Amino acid sequence: MISVAPDMSNKTSSVIDLNNLQDQQIALRIKNLNLFYSEKQALENITMNIPKGQVTAFIGPSGCGKSTLLRCINRMNDLVDTCKIDGQILLHNQNIYDKSVDVASLRRKVGMVFQRPNPFPKSIYENVVYGLRLQGVNDRRVLDEVVENALKNAALWNEVKDRLHDSALGLSGGQQQRLVIARAIAIEPEVLLLDEPTSALDPISTLTIEELITELKDKYTVVIVTHNMQQAARVSDQTAFMYMGQLIEHADTNTLFTTPSKKKTEDYITGRYG
Amino acid sequence: MKLWFKSGSPWVWMTAGAVSISLLSVIGLLMLIASRGLSYFWPSSIHQFEITTQSGATKTIIGEIYEKEQVPTQQLIESGVLFEQAQGETVERYLIKTGNREYVDLDFQWLLTPYIKQQSTPSGLAVFERSKNGNFYGYVESVVQDGNVITENKQQVLLAAIERAVELNGKALDLQNNEIGAINYELERLRLKQRKHELDGDLTDQIKLDLSEKRQALQTEYLVYEKQLFEFRQLAKRDSVIVKDMRGEQVTLPVNYILDVTFPNDMSFLAKLGQYGHQIGKFIMDDPREANTEGGVFPAIFGTVFMVMLMAVIVTPFGVIAAVYLHEYAGNGAITKIIRISVINLAGVPSIVYGVFGLGFFVYMLGGSLDQLFYPEALPGPTFGTPGVMWSALTLAILTLPVVIVSTEEGLSRIPGALRQGSLALGATKAETLWRIVIPMASPAIMTGLILAVARAAGEVAPLMLVGVVKMAPTLPLDGNFPFVHLDRKFMHLGFHIYDVGFQSPNVEAARPLVYATSFLLVSVIVALNITAIGIRNHLREKYKALDH
Repeated sequence: MISVAPDMSNKTSSVIDLNNLQDQQIALRIKNLNLFYSEKQALENITMNIPKGQVTAFIGPSGCGKSTLLRCINRMNDLVDTCKIDGQILLHNQNIYDKSVDVASLRRKVGMVFQRPNPFPKSIYENVVYGLRLQGVNDRRVLDEVVENALKNAALWNEVKDRLHDSALGLSGGQQQRLVIARAIAIEPEVLLLDEPTSALDPISTLTIEELITELKDKYTVVIVTHNMQQAARVSDQTAFMYMGQLIEHADTNTLFTTPSKKKTEDYITGRYG
Repeated sequence: MKLWFKSGSPWVWMTAGAVSISLLSVIGLLMLIASRGLSYFWPSSIHQFEITTQSGATKTIIGEIYEKEQVPTQQLIESGVLFEQAQGETVERYLIKTGNREYVDLDFQWLLTPYIKQQSTPSGLAVFERSKNGNFYGYVESVVQDGNVITENKQQVLLAAIERAVELNGKALDLQNNEIGAINYELERLRLKQRKHELDGDLTDQIKLDLSEKRQALQTEYLVYEKQLFEFRQLAKRDSVIVKDMRGEQVTLPVNYILDVTFPNDMSFLAKLGQYGHQIGKFIMDDPREANTEGGVFPAIFGTVFMVMLMAVIVTPFGVIAAVYLHEYAGNGAITKIIRISVINLAGVPSIVYGVFGLGFFVYMLGGSLDQLFYPEALPGPTFGTPGVMWSALTLAILTLPVVIVSTEEGLSRIPGALRQGSLALGATKAETLWRIVIPMASPAIMTGLILAVARAAGEVAPLMLVGVVKMAPTLPLDGNFPFVHLDRKFMHLGFHIYDVGFQSPNVEAARPLVYATSFLLVSVIVALNITAIGIRNHLREKYKALDH
């Protein structure tokens, strides 16, 4: 019995054959990625291609390494001293772990939104333009335009357009999370990583964010980690199931949820563990 | 009983008791210094006593009652100052401030109450505050103006005469400090310039001529001012006042030495209140006189605040940068731990040790080298190679550095990691994240460190005695002569002023209330500095309120 009844109606599904992707259809290639925290191996030999302009979801039980894998993509794991990585992640055929890669400019191309909303203690406006100011953009007109576009794309403009210069900390949790997404897309990344973006939010805010994610994929490649299978089913085009640091199955969402090819996947989505 | 213990209320009582005791002692301390210090400025009544001396004669004593105390009768009889009139266990005695220093041996004397035949507060008794020899008490007989003796309306005439003299003296003093001071300063600079050319070996006749021309011009200017100065002084000498003192003799007081006259016995409460405020104002705004035992403490207030601010400007960036390195960049290894422990222990080093270090390192080594490199023309006279306000600020800066480092580190560790990651994820480098997010958010903690540092530094005296504080500084470290801020100058400090007035002064009785008043002022200055800093901190806290989840 499949307990999940994915609602596929909002999908503009152009089903892609993951095994036969053209080069220009691939946003990221992950090749033989192994990751160790001290002696403990957290990721084992992950190899996968993440298609461009689609939403890819990582699902799996707690501690399976899905967040760790996501954080590898913009090298957030560099902050952990004990973390050791080998293998490759290719963005434009460039290994992001290559010594010549500048981490800051990588992160400009690969944006990230975290579990809990983390707006800076600045005004809404300053939050959105933070990334641009880092790049030295200070032209008022450019910034105003970017703020408007980013907030509109993040479906927040109508709620905050009259109080752009108020503190971002006065917003509700859901608004803060959309502000963080606006902040991330203000610098026009290619890939947007979402690490359980709705786990700290109420159901209505969750719905807003999910709608937003579906809209975002027109412009960006979205990778989302979620522990909520319904959510994965609702928002993603591709789903990767991970278990104990291994990638078990990676297929288009429809297939993975209706006819999983692996036993473990089936057990998980039918709720036998996790 | 056992239940009562279990309920936890003894614990509440104990903790609350500890808080109350601390609070009481702080309030008690403040009240003591405030009451002792502030009552000094109140224009108290002037008493006239008729006393019988030991030889049986009658004598008049005029003065303020300064203090009252009980002395055991037995002790007085044994020492031979009291005979049988006394009854009871103890005898009261008064300490009288009689003033008139040039006519009596001591301007304070003890009176035993049994000897007092009569005590009154007669109208018309005047207190003269003078710029020399302290207060004078007596009855105004007449005012001499331009050789004419005036007895009509003498109080009004006297007040007008004093006002005129005070104004003239003020003008003379301004002239001396500003115009003439500037000329002297300029002359000194010219001398140093010539010396510099001499040392460099390029002292041509042309330069010599130039310099001597300039000097000549300054000399002419000086002569004009000098003439003016003498004129003012001459004008101020015009009047005098004839006063009958407690010996019954008529004494002539030149008005140009009189700063103020009051008739406290004739004053209403409101008038006294006005005079009280006036006296406090003078204490805060005036320069000290008579070896610091009279006049105000303005240079000391200015020196204290200036030095503390200079210290804050030095210690904040240093401490913050060191804390950022320790917390953000240095690894968490054994060496970092040792460094951190050493920094914390630095706070426990006795302050006099910092004074010795400051004298040896800053004053002699650094200052000495600076002099040789940049001020060779002034040698052998030192410029920076002598204690001064900059070295004091630096010494106190290293003294308070640990406080700033520790509280900044505390603040840095409290910034949520999510915010740092949020910034990094937007393509900021670690340094950018520090500058734009972390340090602004840690600024309330930095301010806390600064508040503690200021509180500690403003009260510190011991090291300053070695590296820059003096009893009497002729000029402030800030004035109208280029380059306006003179960090090489010595300065006065309220803390040292307390020590100096209280324990190094020839006139102990006169100095005592000043000690309390100055202590109260020092506490007030520190509180004011702290409140300012706390205000800034609260503002910052509001601005960078961290996320509440």
